[in-house]
Amino acid sequence: MKKIILTAATVLLATFVAPVAAAQAAQPIELKGQVQLDKIVVENGHEKHVLVEPKVVVPGDKLIFATAYRNTGSVAVSNFVVTNPIPAGVALAQGETPMAEISVDGGKTWGKLVQLTVTGPDGAKRAAQNSDVTHIRWTLAQLAPGASGTLSYRGVVR
Amino acid sequence: MTKQLSSRVATRTLALVSLGAVLAPAAAHATGVSAGTLIQNTASATYTSGASGGTVTSNTVSIKVDELLNVAVAGLTTTPAIAGQTSAVLEYSITNTGNGPEAFKLTADPAVPGNGFDATVQSIVVDSNGNGVYDAGVDQVLAPGASTPAIAADGSLKVFVIVSLPSGATDGQTSQVKLTADAATGTGTPGTVFAGQGDGGGDAVVGSTGASSNANDNLIASLATVALAKSAVINDQFGGHQPVPGAVVIYTLTASVSGTGQAAGVHIIDVIPTGTTYEPGTLTLNAAALTDANDVDAGQASSSGVDVNLGTISGGSTKTVTFNVKIN
Repeated sequence: MKKIILTAATVLLATFVAPVAAAQAAQPIELKGQVQLDKIVVENGHEKHVLVEPKVVVPGDKLIFATAYRNTGSVAVSNFVVTNPIPAGVALAQGETPMAEISVDGGKTWGKLVQLTVTGPDGAKRAAQNSDVTHIRWTLAQLAPGASGTLSYRGVVR
Repeated sequence: MTKQLSSRVATRTLALVSLGAVLAPAAAHATGVSAGTLIQNTASATYTSGASGGTVTSNTVSIKVDELLNVAVAGLTTTPAIAGQTSAVLEYSITNTGNGPEAFKLTADPAVPGNGFDATVQSIVVDSNGNGVYDAGVDQVLAPGASTPAIAADGSLKVFVIVSLPSGATDGQTSQVKLTADAATGTGTPGTVFAGQGDGGGDAVVGSTGASSNANDNLIASLATVALAKSAVINDQFGGHQPVPGAVVIYTLTASVSGTGQAAGVHIIDVIPTGTTYEPGTLTLNAAALTDANDVDAGQASSSGVDVNLGTISGGSTKTVTFNVKIN
């Protein structure tokens, strides 16, 4: 009985200590993901976009996936590349991501949408479309200590 | 602070578990991802710090796709179904345009504005053997108020509505019967949420169709009307036409059938007038002799009267029966 209590206490202690050590030593970068629903509400006869917590989500809904980053360390990091696979049930929304590169082949090759092609089931190549995008990534050359920001993309539930 | 730290540990564990789930394909439907599918998003970052590099993964945000309630009903009876002596079978299709399996409540409304008559709805039947044809006694009859079996997302179900003509309908009148399908979970203005009632454990949300759809099928009444005319010619034994005892009266009964349909079970029945006697062997149908006995031919005659069974006659035809009596 005594042993069990001790074990529980150890776990608790680990919970307190481990992340602090990880964040400061091993992980100077913090990434925090968030998703919001871009909902159109009609107010006084005018359509208005509001960003809400996605409590109810159905096909066709517009979602905004955001990843907040922060350099929590004391030294600058470079070649900071954030990669985000697009979830299977989501298609990249139209006309987005001017700052990002995308991939339509699971992250093997990267570029702008207009540069990319997809091989169809019949073997013929065609221009890639938003719905073909499998990954999106952002590259920041330098991230100073304390620097932070948010990278986001818009998606539509397929 | 404590809370934040512990939650970070929890979410990092989640991220590792769900990285694989991100790549798992969601069942693809023309009408959208299946209800209950988890949409999970995880970002990761690589960076260089001094001489070494590092990798960090974000927490995973996870959303469950809720069930969208949508339906489309189509009338499949392209040329009006003919209702006459027998019932008409109207065909409809119910398509689940939502993203989860859903049952639908069906209502057949025979009172559509503009109808020449309102048909009598006998039953709503599901094409349960899936052969596309109404099989009486085989296909499942829906009890009043009952729902169809669940239809898969993107799936269709063929439904038959069996109707008969009401009394008072006349030949050539047209009518429509409206079939409405309502999602069993519920209907309402688009966006209405039925919490916790979605397939896969999420909510159910009314889609753009209001989770209700209807379509009309056409039918036309095809009936036959029988008119009977009786005439008599008297031939007396003196070469004249006086109704004196011993004179023979030739009765002619003409059944004229009009309309586009058929008249079934038509009999021409007449009694021998008082004061006269039937002349045996004089019964004819369309100038062909009939025996007096009740046998294989269509007619029979006796001292009390005649009965000719015309069976089923199509509109536009005429049947003539004659028989002779002698005035006592």
